[in-house]
Amino acid sequence: MGSYVARRVLQGIFTLFLVFFLLHVLTTLAIQVNGNPALAFFGEKVPTQSQLLEVKKRYNLDDPCFEQLGNPCLRPFVERLNAYLHGDFGTNLRGDQAVTEMVATAAPNTLRLFTVVTITWLIVGMLLGSLAARFRGRLPDHSIRSLSILIDAFPVFVMLLVYKYIVAVPVERWMDDRFGDEAFPTLMFKPSFDPDHPWATVVVPGFLLGVTGSAAFIRLVRASQLENYHADYVRTARAKGLGDARVTVFHIIRNSSIPVVTAIGFVFADALAGAVITEGLMNIYGMGGLLWRAVRESEVSVVAGMVSLLAVVVLVVNVLVDLAYAALDPRIRYD
Amino acid sequence: MTDPTTAANIAAESHGGPVARSLWAEAFRTLSRRPSVIIAAVVVAFFVVVAAFPTLFTRTDPQRCDIRQSKIRPQWFDGPHPFGTDLHGCDLLAQLVHGARPSLLLAAIVVGSSVLIGLVLGSLAGYYLGVIDAVVSRAVEVFLVIPLLLAALLVLSIFRNVDFGDGQLAVLAPPAIVLTMFAWMGYTRYVRASVLETKNLDYVVAARVLGASDLRIIFRHILPNAIAPVTALIPTAVAGIIAAEATLAFLGIGVRPPAISWGIMISNSTDWFTGGYPHLLLFPLACLIATILALVVLGDALRDALDPKLR
Amino acid sequence: MSVPLLEVDDLVVEFHTADGVVRAVNGLSWSVNAGETLAIVGESGSGKSVSVQAVMGLLQMPPARIVRGQIRFEGQDLLSMGRRQHRAMCGERIAMVFQDALAALNPVYSVGYQLAEALVVRKGLSRRDARRRAIELLELVKVPNPSQRVKDYPHQFSGGMRQRVMIAMALALEPDVLIADEPTTALDVTVQAQIMRLLAEIQAERQMALILITHDLGVVANVADHITVMYAGRAVEQAGVYDIFAAPAHPYTKALLRSIPRVDMKGRELEVIAGRPPVLTDIPPGCAFHPRCQYAQDVCRTEWPELRDLGGGRKSACHFAESVLDGTVESPADGDGGPGVTESRGMRGAGV
Repeated sequence: MGSYVARRVLQGIFTLFLVFFLLHVLTTLAIQVNGNPALAFFGEKVPTQSQLLEVKKRYNLDDPCFEQLGNPCLRPFVERLNAYLHGDFGTNLRGDQAVTEMVATAAPNTLRLFTVVTITWLIVGMLLGSLAARFRGRLPDHSIRSLSILIDAFPVFVMLLVYKYIVAVPVERWMDDRFGDEAFPTLMFKPSFDPDHPWATVVVPGFLLGVTGSAAFIRLVRASQLENYHADYVRTARAKGLGDARVTVFHIIRNSSIPVVTAIGFVFADALAGAVITEGLMNIYGMGGLLWRAVRESEVSVVAGMVSLLAVVVLVVNVLVDLAYAALDPRIRYD
Repeated sequence: MTDPTTAANIAAESHGGPVARSLWAEAFRTLSRRPSVIIAAVVVAFFVVVAAFPTLFTRTDPQRCDIRQSKIRPQWFDGPHPFGTDLHGCDLLAQLVHGARPSLLLAAIVVGSSVLIGLVLGSLAGYYLGVIDAVVSRAVEVFLVIPLLLAALLVLSIFRNVDFGDGQLAVLAPPAIVLTMFAWMGYTRYVRASVLETKNLDYVVAARVLGASDLRIIFRHILPNAIAPVTALIPTAVAGIIAAEATLAFLGIGVRPPAISWGIMISNSTDWFTGGYPHLLLFPLACLIATILALVVLGDALRDALDPKLR
Repeated sequence: MSVPLLEVDDLVVEFHTADGVVRAVNGLSWSVNAGETLAIVGESGSGKSVSVQAVMGLLQMPPARIVRGQIRFEGQDLLSMGRRQHRAMCGERIAMVFQDALAALNPVYSVGYQLAEALVVRKGLSRRDARRRAIELLELVKVPNPSQRVKDYPHQFSGGMRQRVMIAMALALEPDVLIADEPTTALDVTVQAQIMRLLAEIQAERQMALILITHDLGVVANVADHITVMYAGRAVEQAGVYDIFAAPAHPYTKALLRSIPRVDMKGRELEVIAGRPPVLTDIPPGCAFHPRCQYAQDVCRTEWPELRDLGGGRKSACHFAESVLDGTVESPADGDGGPGVTESRGMRGAGV
């Protein structure tokens, strides 16, 4: 097990290196095609050569390779990696705030959002998936299946849009009449985030974001449980005279959790992208919301820094998922 | 665990026909019996026709807008603007009709090229293994770390000011390239897995022993087995790209104005929903949801029909 | 002994499939006493496993349906008792060993855990006692180095060792009846013999009743006391093992016997039974075996032969059982291997 962990972590670090290189090549290419973003610093004004050089230096854009299309700019890449190693993921264009600082203040709200998302996954995905498997081919199965199709048909931003503009306003007004404007149910349906009530106002957006990911879970849980219902070892467990509850929990659910855990990795990556939209639309001050604003305001350096950071997060989650996989399935460990 | 080949073999055995043909024929038969599938197919076909021949549905030029005619409510059959006009006075029906093409075309391009990349890389990696496989698998892993939408946000905002020209394809090029760059991995994985599975089956080994060329083995013997699971992914993938395009357009970095897309229309009209002009949001939203829903229903049914073990 | 330990009486089991209703077991009866071994022999699809799955309550219902019949353990009908009560009998009174041990053991738990599971859950043993008992059980089935191996996972065992673990698991609650469903099919011939010997030893030692399900008559020759031969969902012959091997009273049994490789037949060609076992949705009218039977007469094509008592504790479902038994029926195959029986080198026919 120990060597497996070490190997997986090293592999993750190598992948991360490649991811950073990919992102670097993309941004470099953009600068080469697009012109140096240092120019954007001056807005409408035309800077003198020395002013421009000054700014370029400040943003590490002074290397001549940025003017040569197709040059991979390896030297700046090494510098950037070095900066990443020291926890420096760049600053905003005005240079008054580091990306890591911005992330640090925004992270708690994103964590709140993902707490709600995870709970939703567990409840909606696991519960409905198990129900569908249990009642395979009968009414609950068909309804749950239709529901998961419907979920798939509503992209996150459509779901949020419908909620924010069509549902939230009348519901909030109704709650307000009944419970008053400081009550939890009223706050819950506020169409935008309120930093004074970070939990209440994050529940519904988090639930909606969680729902969009849970369709995949429903299908996966259903399929893997169905496979296990008929597995030979489940039959063995029954032949041992174990009760239904014991067989279900310790053999069916335990074994079908393996593919479900592996799915968490890619559903998480999707949810992270969804968080950008959710936080952006609902004005939640989180990592996704920052990225959203940076995209809208063309703060390229912030976008690049954030995406790199989020890539680190995704990779860490992936490695954790693989380790959980190995912990759950002894056949992996001894390879 | 039953792997797909076993399942296919069992299916073939119990129906007594060749694997590939009976699987497809059977799939078609089950699909054509389900009313939801037929409705979904009709909806998809309708929007494809709209995208291909917009002039069949409206004569009005979507770009000719009269600011004095702004925000007219739907007139249905009583006026020149059946669905009303938007805040710039552009005809909403014309915009909807012409907005279908970029979304669908983009999705077709992205999914088409992703599947192609997946088939080529997946079969090369699975068949030759070794260095090729190591490189391909590593690349898949690297690209998977960056979620599609985040990658698109980054790259498109970097390239935002680059001028690609005004032609129809030029407008689509940046989102098409970016989305393809981050959408090929799934197909590659699928194809690679099924090549690995098929490669050592007796009939493939026999073909190799008989001296068939690698290309012939891949095309004649291995790929036909990989096609079914990949096909089952396509409708859902198309729906996903349409949704992603709408999301990007909503953020202002997808298909760019003056080109029209449903995402742009939705983005422009959100503020007017509560302002008393709900039709501005509801029409493009309904088109978007109808298309995606129909594709998802098709994809679900197809997955069901071509992957019997999930039934 | 008045009441047999375990008795299946006129059992009819149907499966409802997309292609129609299939009678997998049709009026089957057998019984077994403590200390006895019963072998149920037949080709795949003959329904030989279905009756024991009904005994264990393992049939998936639907699609399966028990149309009629009783399964009595110590005179008590298992089918009419509640599901919970029935389940409580399994494992403790009746236990089962499955064919493919790799699939039948849960891959994510150590064998120690799986051996101990029933002891902890059903008998309320402490973890430590259960583990000690698990090691004893592994010792009992002659797994080398049991105190080490108890921590290992199923995939780390060889096929034969895994099957021993399966047997140990079935013995955990000290059952009165042990059912082994093709326990050696997936194994090498040498390992097969070891496992059969182990089963026989344990059975003799504990005076258990043992039920062996197999397609291979040769495997059970040295172990079984009684044999029930099944074909297309029915018992076609039931007799003591010596009687069957000495002189079969049904053409199908006869054909099965001829397809066993024997040392004294070394160098000669093995016979296989011509034709295929019938498809259960399309069982031929009359005697189901008639299309493959070298003795078939007109009556066989129209009339189902009842399972008749031939005296001396043997039963056969053949219109010409007596003639088959004393060999008075002319068999072309005895002479020149005519149309009924084809020959093939080195194949063990009837089985697979």
